Amino acid sequence: MPVWIMIAIRSLVALVFLFVLTRLNGKRQISQINIFEYMAAVTVGDIAAMISADVNEEFIPGAVSMIIWATIPIALAWLSLKSKWFRDLSEGRATIVVKNGKIMEDNLKKLRYSTDELLEQLRVKNAFNLADVEFALLEPSGDMSVLLKSENQPITPKQIAWQVAPQTESQTVIMDGNMMDEPLTTIGWNRERLQLELEKAGVTLNNVFLGQISSSGQLYIDLYDDQLTPPISKEGKLLFALLKKCQADLETFGLSTENPEGKRTYEKCASDIDTVVQSTKALLTR
Amino acid sequence: MTVGIQVKQCLASLKSAQASLETFALNTQNKQAKQTYEQAATITSSVVNLVSQRVKQLEQEEPQYKGL
Repeated sequence: MPVWIMIAIRSLVALVFLFVLTRLNGKRQISQINIFEYMAAVTVGDIAAMISADVNEEFIPGAVSMIIWATIPIALAWLSLKSKWFRDLSEGRATIVVKNGKIMEDNLKKLRYSTDELLEQLRVKNAFNLADVEFALLEPSGDMSVLLKSENQPITPKQIAWQVAPQTESQTVIMDGNMMDEPLTTIGWNRERLQLELEKAGVTLNNVFLGQISSSGQLYIDLYDDQLTPPISKEGKLLFALLKKCQADLETFGLSTENPEGKRTYEKCASDIDTVVQSTKALLTR
Repeated sequence: MTVGIQVKQCLASLKSAQASLETFALNTQNKQAKQTYEQAATITSSVVNLVSQRVKQLEQEEPQYKGL
């Protein structure tokens, strides 16, 4: 058999093998890879390259070596999960570098971290002033986690007791002009219902590139034609305006009627509608 | 002196608002939002009742406003 065919076969087999091994690793490794796992991964790749290209080496020993290098890190990771002691030993602990706004110089020395590096990491986390930092940790992965002083953190609706409408994730129901059945069933719609909504918006399915439904049941569509803008649903805002109008009308009636009982009725009605307006304000005008 | 027609218009708007609130309650997925809409619809329906009674009184006093 000519050499190049052998190499082609070996490369293909090594590639598939590598793919299977890396998929076995799962998702965790990609985001939180530590230096040991990274080096093991490089070695696995190196062995794969060697068995693909070098016809003199036998395939099976190379494959065995790949298996060892790929599975030992997985076994160690599993062991880390079971034993805290082992976890501290292999992965190390996070080191505090700033506490109560003060830099822990001894810890920096232990980490062999220069002041320049510390400031750089803080800037990466948008903390340009050390005065703004309450607490900073250097994680075992090498990332720095920064907690700003609470007065430097952005305001949340909770802090100013501002009512906001609760929101859950949107479902993407139309992708590339095709209806997706699974998200539709998640929100309890079916294809006919979606078609009806599209007709209300005045578009056909093949005009739509992307369609999303928010937690309030509102359909948002993006069309292929970038010149056209799809109509925005104003039902919520219309209802809110209607409620405000009713409240104003009821107050007017209360003022213009001479009958005292009528006055009381209208005033009660006006204040009830006002309650409704306040409670639904956040939901309708989002 | 409230004009009967205006009160009737307000009553119709209130009925429409109540129906819209109930529709929103049905459409939304979020439980909290559903509750808020349902409560709002209940309050609105009680207001509708009060205003209807007032309309009846007005019709008795001023028979020319009877009927739609």
